Amino acid sequence: MKQLFFKIAIYAFLILLVLEGIIRIFHLTKDYPARYVDRLGVEKWVPDQEGYSVTGIRRQNFSKYNINDFGYNSYREFKPTNDKFEIALVGDSFVEGFHQHYYNSTGKKIENLLHGIEVYEFGYAGYDFADELHLIHKYQATFDLIDHVFIGLKFENDLHRGEYNIVPDRIKLESPMYRSLRKIKLLVYLQNIGAFSAARELTRTLLSFGQDNPDAAIIETESKESKKQRYLSYISNFESLVNTYGYNKKRYTLLINKTHTPMVFLTYLDLHGFTYLDFSESFQKSVRPTTLIYDMHWNDHGRDIIAQLISQYLQSEFNDNLLK
Amino acid sequence: MVFNSLEFFMFLPMVFVLYWFVFNKHLKGQNILLLVASYVFYGLWDWRFLSLILLSTIVDYFVGLRIYNTDDSLKRKRWLWVSVIFNVGLLGFFKYFNFFVDSWIDFSSFLGYNIESPWMLRIILPVGISFYTFQTMSYSFDVYYKKLQPTTDFLSFAAFVSFFPQLVAGPIERASNLLSQITNPRQFNYHQTVSGLKLILWGLFKKVVIADSIGPIVDDIFANYTAYPASTLVLGVTLFSFQVYGDFSGYSDIAIGTAKLFGIELMSNFKFPNFSRNVAEYWQRWHVSLSTWFRHYVYIPLGGSRVSKLKSVRNICIVFLISGFWHGANWTFVFWGGFHALAFIPVFLMGRNTIYKDSVVGQNTFFPSLIEIGQVLLTFGIVTFSRIFFRSESITDAFQFIKRIVTDCSYAPYNHPMGYRMIDYYILIALFVLYEYRIRKDERAPFKFKSKVVRFIFYTIVVLGMLLFYDDQVDRSFIYFQF
Repeated sequence: MKQLFFKIAIYAFLILLVLEGIIRIFHLTKDYPARYVDRLGVEKWVPDQEGYSVTGIRRQNFSKYNINDFGYNSYREFKPTNDKFEIALVGDSFVEGFHQHYYNSTGKKIENLLHGIEVYEFGYAGYDFADELHLIHKYQATFDLIDHVFIGLKFENDLHRGEYNIVPDRIKLESPMYRSLRKIKLLVYLQNIGAFSAARELTRTLLSFGQDNPDAAIIETESKESKKQRYLSYISNFESLVNTYGYNKKRYTLLINKTHTPMVFLTYLDLHGFTYLDFSESFQKSVRPTTLIYDMHWNDHGRDIIAQLISQYLQSEFNDNLLK
Repeated sequence: MVFNSLEFFMFLPMVFVLYWFVFNKHLKGQNILLLVASYVFYGLWDWRFLSLILLSTIVDYFVGLRIYNTDDSLKRKRWLWVSVIFNVGLLGFFKYFNFFVDSWIDFSSFLGYNIESPWMLRIILPVGISFYTFQTMSYSFDVYYKKLQPTTDFLSFAAFVSFFPQLVAGPIERASNLLSQITNPRQFNYHQTVSGLKLILWGLFKKVVIADSIGPIVDDIFANYTAYPASTLVLGVTLFSFQVYGDFSGYSDIAIGTAKLFGIELMSNFKFPNFSRNVAEYWQRWHVSLSTWFRHYVYIPLGGSRVSKLKSVRNICIVFLISGFWHGANWTFVFWGGFHALAFIPVFLMGRNTIYKDSVVGQNTFFPSLIEIGQVLLTFGIVTFSRIFFRSESITDAFQFIKRIVTDCSYAPYNHPMGYRMIDYYILIALFVLYEYRIRKDERAPFKFKSKVVRFIFYTIVVLGMLLFYDDQVDRSFIYFQF
């Protein structure tokens, strides 16, 4: 029996070691860039990092990222001046674009479509409206030099809070323990393919044994009234953020998907003079899929559509000469 | 609880440690542990249906004793019928009740009578009912035919009926093999345990890498067959052949391997059926425990092949039709069984049904002969064609599927529904077939290499394969659980 356990342990150890090597050699899983909170209290990526983002099994989606001096994934540095025409895209992982090669981002596509424009992509996974306005507020001097700013906004996800605070759960990912675990690529791989979801599910089941699932109850029983209240609280958060961090209605445009945005909020935006660019119609018209297969991020075609929409918007708002 | 779940990989070591460390050399304790573990294993799916297993156990335990304790042939036969009626009745109610009602309504409607359906019940099919009822019946049959002395140890008998490695999807064991092992003391055997672990690893590979990864492709093609050209439909049914093989033989390997960890040898259930040279050989290699059951308890009692050719052909038809029906309450399975009967009968009439009984393809050579390759491809083609009935939702769907293959003979490249590269799967299947050919002579030794290094390389490849093809989005349940 001792021999059995000893051999199992040896074989398991050696197999895990070889697998770790294989995953590293063939780059089967993603790299995690380091994140930090800068001196102005803005959470972003540590500048000047490169790595590969891998999604799905067997490197289904494989792309390179490049974190610039400012701390965002982009092929260019953000150096706005009064002489040039610059726009900024501020948003979450959709703008961040780790699922695409950084030379093939939405911003680069806009630059390809328009003449003499620089696009700065301030994208960071998990950013909500508080993160976005706080960033703009803290880097006011930089943003004042940028001619126009597009801010991504998902009503259901991005308005849960009315003031900016550092999100502890995200920063926790930079703890020594998480950093050490991320160095074991086999663990990262297993986590990314969902191999630990069974363990999490089992733990949850064991912990909640005999208890009702409160999340499920909320989803099932949300009445029209409570939904309305929730929407109103989101709008109140929007107002609070705008009042706290400022919002230039002339230079800022919200980038939204109307089909996922309630009418009450659209009406509010119209009544209060907030401009927005809706991409839902263009996505719906598209014959080809606009999102990736394994997650809901925009695929190459989806990014093409967004770039075209923004280009047309800029052309109509500013100058026909922008068009290449 | 299923084999490819985290729960099982926590459950198995616990039972193993208790079995060999706490109850070692204590037969009764080991059997009680096996019984409790088996009931926990099954009860975690649905504890309510444990009562059916217990009931089936009690009935056949007493029927066995009653049959043995009387010499009156009429009484013996009556007691045997008690077992048959009870077990078939359980199956009939839980598995076929709605099917019979449905078929009766369809038949009446065909005759011009429209009947409302007052008797349709919402019945849950208890997992494994087709397997354990057949296993308990085999005990009563063996006692009846005086091939077996009934046990007076109820605990051992209950452990035999519910032995968790093979409880829900076989192999369907005969009491002469399994019960005798349960009633006799077991010793820990290092080589047996290692061999069990290897089979578990290989079974998991077949399930996770072959069956589960192909599943979404097959599901997509069969669900949308009207939108695909013939080439895609052929691809779909071919892949289904590998899926169902990987799924079921993978399960059997894990079951056999798990039993080995407890010092128990189960019968082989799959002997590389994809390398069969005719349909008869296929049935000597595919789901062997079920074929053996039907041979012993249906075919031979009907006269087998010792009667006239005509009666033998009748017996073959009966066996295949019942076997088809055993698989599921749907006419598609009956058609599937009937199709196999039609494919088997010519082989039988030519006297070629047992010629490959003791050999494998490429028996004495490394490569198979061209004739053998032709035979294997033809048999695989016939079996794969029959899978259209096996997989389709209805007979109409099956015939529409076939009609589309025949009438819309066109080709178009197929794209994976989840966006993966299809070439990965073609390479995977090709390598799998080549590897199975390499190990074709011993289904119980999937990693038979002299060199430890080579063995280690293959273990690593198998685990790597699971990492590369594991997808937590796909349905990971075993196909044969529904039977």
